[in-house]
Amino acid sequence: MEEHHRRNQILTVIAVGIGLLFLYGAQEYATSYQIRILNNCALFVILAASYNLINGVTGQFSLEPNAFVAIGAYTSALLTLTPAEKQLSFIIEPIMWPLGVLHAPFFISLLAAGVVTAFVGFLMGFPVFRVRGDYLAIVTLGFGEVVRVVANNTQTITNGPLGLKGIAPHTNLWWSWGIAIITVFFIARLVRSSFGRAMKAVKYDETAAEAVGINAFWHKMLAFTTSAFFEGVGGGILAHLITTISPTLFTFFLTFNLLIMIVVGGLGSTTGACIAAIIVTFGGEYLRFVEEPINFWFIHIPAIPGMRMVIFSIILILMMIFARNGIMGTKEFSWNWVLNKIKPVKIFLRKKP
Amino acid sequence: MRKLFICFVALSLVFCFAGPTFAAKGTVKIGVYLPMTGPVAAYGQMEWAGVQTANKIMPTVLGKKVELFLVDTKSDKIEAANAVDRLIKKNKVHAIIGEAISGNTLAGGPIADKAKIPMVSPTATNPLVTQNREYVFRVCFIDPFQGEMAAKYAAEKLGAKKAAILVDIAQDYCVGLANFFAKSFIKHGGKVVATAYCQTLDQDFTAQLSSIMAAKPDVLYMPNYYTEVALACKQAAELGLNVPVFTADGAQAPELITIGGKDVEGIIFTGHFAKEAAATELAKKYIDAYEKDTGKEASAFDALGADAYFVLMDAITRAKSVKGDKIRAALASTKNFKAVSGIINIGEDGNAIKSLVLLNVKDGQFRYLATLNP
Repeated sequence: MEEHHRRNQILTVIAVGIGLLFLYGAQEYATSYQIRILNNCALFVILAASYNLINGVTGQFSLEPNAFVAIGAYTSALLTLTPAEKQLSFIIEPIMWPLGVLHAPFFISLLAAGVVTAFVGFLMGFPVFRVRGDYLAIVTLGFGEVVRVVANNTQTITNGPLGLKGIAPHTNLWWSWGIAIITVFFIARLVRSSFGRAMKAVKYDETAAEAVGINAFWHKMLAFTTSAFFEGVGGGILAHLITTISPTLFTFFLTFNLLIMIVVGGLGSTTGACIAAIIVTFGGEYLRFVEEPINFWFIHIPAIPGMRMVIFSIILILMMIFARNGIMGTKEFSWNWVLNKIKPVKIFLRKKP
Repeated sequence: MRKLFICFVALSLVFCFAGPTFAAKGTVKIGVYLPMTGPVAAYGQMEWAGVQTANKIMPTVLGKKVELFLVDTKSDKIEAANAVDRLIKKNKVHAIIGEAISGNTLAGGPIADKAKIPMVSPTATNPLVTQNREYVFRVCFIDPFQGEMAAKYAAEKLGAKKAAILVDIAQDYCVGLANFFAKSFIKHGGKVVATAYCQTLDQDFTAQLSSIMAAKPDVLYMPNYYTEVALACKQAAELGLNVPVFTADGAQAPELITIGGKDVEGIIFTGHFAKEAAATELAKKYIDAYEKDTGKEASAFDALGADAYFVLMDAITRAKSVKGDKIRAALASTKNFKAVSGIINIGEDGNAIKSLVLLNVKDGQFRYLATLNP
């Protein structure tokens, strides 16, 4: 049993409460631009934390989240779009029969997105986990491409390259951060459970793990399917945030972004993935000012588009040289660590008078 | 680690002192969101060059200076949405130009619509972009129109009865266009006898071309990008497939001829803009200025970028105001505006009604053939 378990629980509840108060304030007073950035942060927290489960915790280097996000986004968007809007959008081929009339509330659509994606992930796991290491990466990468090309060419389901538009902007701060908190909480609990420890064992040495009686295949499947579920839900959040989806959104670059986040955060650390997701999303927007014309006292620098990517890359390179384990390494955030850091300050303050 | 931290803090301090240039009061602010980096950066950069040249030709409107704000979208939907929100909330722009590709304009459009800030896209050709969007306009024609005109020309002028289609299924633009072409060709009494598929970066098209050859078409429609078109043409010539090749504006790049060589001779395509056909006063002025500015030949993308700017300026002049709803009303009633790429009317749904040019490749050069009117 962990030290000060009860105290830490209370601290977590308080922190979440403060977070929710902050969200309430943001929802009331922030501009739509600021709210959009906060929503993006939550979205990437969901995606990075769930991607980290398979890539970091279980150590299976896979490259498929763009496929899962795509399946989730299409599933939930097709459910919440009104039949009238669908009829307007499908101008090449009419929409397939049951999809055209189906209509569900946002929450149900998110749930459906998760379940459908988890199911696809489950089926996909059988062929995928026949291979390991680099081969696994290539097989899953191929899967990501297949889903995108299928979406481009199944006109009657996805409206092909035209994409879907007019999706209701259901995603607000409550939905996005609510689901982000649930995702992180669930995954953190899973990692701490016996399943999670088995996953970590598989990561460090699969043969040794099998030798002590861990079924490596089913633990990989559990991580993969759970990851797929939350990626799918994240896809639903994404679709209702930008209100339009098309196959071009789900290229390898989406996976690549998530991969950067979990590596920056520290492979295997759920809280690390969350911190990195927020830093990368927020930092990307914040750094935009370097692309504007700058007056630096009396030196005038003209606008250079793409400059923030250069700065971002330099930071990444420096990190890979000096802090290869990322922000958190394989450690997790813990209250004990924070309080231990504060302790010397407290003692110092108490001594003063 | 500590040194790194110190470097970081020092850098942040430097950036704190460096502030963005402050906007002068009383300017007309135009936001531009384009893919300046990422997979389709080439389009964004060409269009931005066009917008800048147009801005130099017409630097003021209503007696006020026009100020441009460029925001990069990284060729990505999420970033495109961020960019539009940023332009509206942070830069407080009066109108917006962008995006270059349809998918991103679909993401940016609803935000502009909600904020009641008019948006003009230079090259978003997907018909859904402006559908039900009161504040979203475009200065290019839409894909169904291009497919329809190509099909009509193939059926009526080339006398084709049987068409074969080779389509790049990895590109949304190609799949859309092929579909619209097939639909219209059948409507014009033709038959699509073979449809073959390829993917971007494919090198070998012989299997597809052989199956097309077996179907004996009168015309081969390949609405793909220039690399794939050029390679497929080369291989078609080797196989002895001797039918007219018809393609679309994605082929309009000098690389088509450098890759294809003599095998792309005679290939016909529909496009947005042909230098030779540019008849308006503005076009002449623009082409001169652009070529002097950049040292490059004016092309469809930069011309349409400039058109987005000119159409917007025309609307603001007629509206005599920079209020969103006033500009919108003026944009919607644009009539016979003599733009760079031809005469533009804004019709239903904010789509431009304009003619399309037909070009071919002759003696290693693009030649203007005809103008097809809607």
